[in-house]
Amino acid sequence: MNHSNHAETARLDAVAQVLRDAVKPPGGAELERGLRALRARERTRPRVALRWAAVAAVACCVALGFTVAPQALRRAGLATAPVALQRIGGGTVLEGGYLSEAGHDGVELVFNEGSRFRLSHGTRGRLREVRSDGARFDLDHGSASFQITPNVARHWAVEAGPFVVSVQGTDFTVAWEPTSERLEVRLRQGRVVVSGPVVGEDFVVRPGQALMVDLPRGKSEISVARPEMNAPDVAAPVVPPVSAPPAALPVPSAKPAAPPSASASRGTERRFRAALANGEWDRILAEVEHDGVDASLRTLSSDDLFALADAARYRRRPDLARAALLAERERFPSSSRSLDTSFLLGRVEELRAGGRPAAIKRYDEYLARAPNGTYAAEALGRKMILVKESQGPASARQIAEEYLRSFPKGSYAKAARALLEQP
Amino acid sequence: MSLSSRSRTPLALVAKPSRRDVADAELAQGLVAREDWAMGETWVRFAPMVLVLAERVLGSKPDAEDLAQEVFGRVHDKVKTLREPASLRSFVYSIAIRTLKSELRYRRLKSWLSFRDPADLVDFRHVTEDVESRDLVAKVHALLNRLSPRDKLVFVLKRVETMTVEEIAVAMDISESTVKRSLAHASQRLTRWLEADPALGQALGTQLGMRSE
Repeated sequence: MNHSNHAETARLDAVAQVLRDAVKPPGGAELERGLRALRARERTRPRVALRWAAVAAVACCVALGFTVAPQALRRAGLATAPVALQRIGGGTVLEGGYLSEAGHDGVELVFNEGSRFRLSHGTRGRLREVRSDGARFDLDHGSASFQITPNVARHWAVEAGPFVVSVQGTDFTVAWEPTSERLEVRLRQGRVVVSGPVVGEDFVVRPGQALMVDLPRGKSEISVARPEMNAPDVAAPVVPPVSAPPAALPVPSAKPAAPPSASASRGTERRFRAALANGEWDRILAEVEHDGVDASLRTLSSDDLFALADAARYRRRPDLARAALLAERERFPSSSRSLDTSFLLGRVEELRAGGRPAAIKRYDEYLARAPNGTYAAEALGRKMILVKESQGPASARQIAEEYLRSFPKGSYAKAARALLEQP
Repeated sequence: MSLSSRSRTPLALVAKPSRRDVADAELAQGLVAREDWAMGETWVRFAPMVLVLAERVLGSKPDAEDLAQEVFGRVHDKVKTLREPASLRSFVYSIAIRTLKSELRYRRLKSWLSFRDPADLVDFRHVTEDVESRDLVAKVHALLNRLSPRDKLVFVLKRVETMTVEEIAVAMDISESTVKRSLAHASQRLTRWLEADPALGQALGTQLGMRSE
């Protein structure tokens, strides 16, 4: 490689490194919040079949509407328009829906069907989505009151930290303090459903009630809200709490508010699993290095060894990944996942410079031991690619044919067909 | 404010069986059956991968979170079409890549219709408190945003995610030669732009030098 090529590669590597370093894996709270949002979204989103049915129904209605509805609507003076943001007072909406306050009086959003959001001064939030049947609002910090025009066909949601407040027609205030992780929902009229840590799924707040959740302590409280709650007031105390009826109380969550970190769950089985799922690869590696690699390989559970191997692979440390997988194989030869080590060792060998022959050997080993195993298609596909790269397309043709016979719809089928079509 | 703890309520805790150990194939079957645990476990298992990839491509954490919601919505819709349940991870990844491709195209289209460059409004405060590092990340994203959506995605998948050409071709549903062409095109253009901006080149070198120390 000449000097200019070397410099070019170094520059592009630097760009890649900056992008890699700029992103931290999501933490447990973020994942929890994302899952809550996903569940809320799935609850309100019709399924594919229903959507097609809805499309067909809409088509029928439209056809009918062209003939009958205009006259009827004109007579009744009614028309159900899709929800749209009509007016913004006291600020502006930036790209991405972020709200920017212009003065010191807060921001007010008014929708065409009469619903209003009022953010108190200093509150940060984001109008995440406006759909034809409602909107989603993210409350990052502070308090906001929401007056939603009743309509059973519409769905509005307010997200505050890991909590989702789902509403239809109602009038309520939400306050969220991210530093102390305290949520407060005060309901004046209507009905809201809160989902999130501590309160669990679908906790109903009734008119006149205030729900307070203290996330760090894992406690929640229902109290009678003060009658004068027209303006959002985060710091104001509420009257002494009155216990909600037992039937309305959710069972306090047995799990902690956030998934345990790798270090927090030290000493328990499968301590690395949650850390791996949270993308805390460096933490797993640091903990193993702190405890000593050899000692860890001797003492970690089977599950943790797999997690360690994965973390090492993701962090491009093939030697450590290989050592973890070999330790798994040696210490737990009869475990159900022992077979998988051959395939995973192949993936690790691929990370090493000049590791192709060893990787092919591992894939062969896996295919011989588990021809119908979980990773059989992947192992054969990877082998085909590696043989093509190292020995040329002619040598890989036989493997491509075998792949298409065994896995005609597999993820490498296209590559196999392309290989066979080559002259 | 005193919180009346609900801990006084008698509790009967029943440990649910752990689903963390199920294989991807079983997880896919759970998703097809629309079982609630499967949705949660799919998110826990694959969301970190999708979120990190999306943030690297889009340069914005909130946008990455939105995209992840879209991706997992599509996964739930389309999981019935998955022929090999064991390849659920690849399935999720390829949906993420296709969703990202659509998002990048949509942004490109929007940038033509807008007076402002959307990249100007991306908030990089979540990346780091260090102003210089933040500035560098913003400049790198601004540079990448000048690439076509396909070139940008191929560059990130190859250089940042270290995927092979074959894997990229499969995931993006394009030929290997297209991947290679796209990568070469992206690399040439980025090199040219970096050469034309010596200050950025120097900042990249300085930043990486500091990290390697």
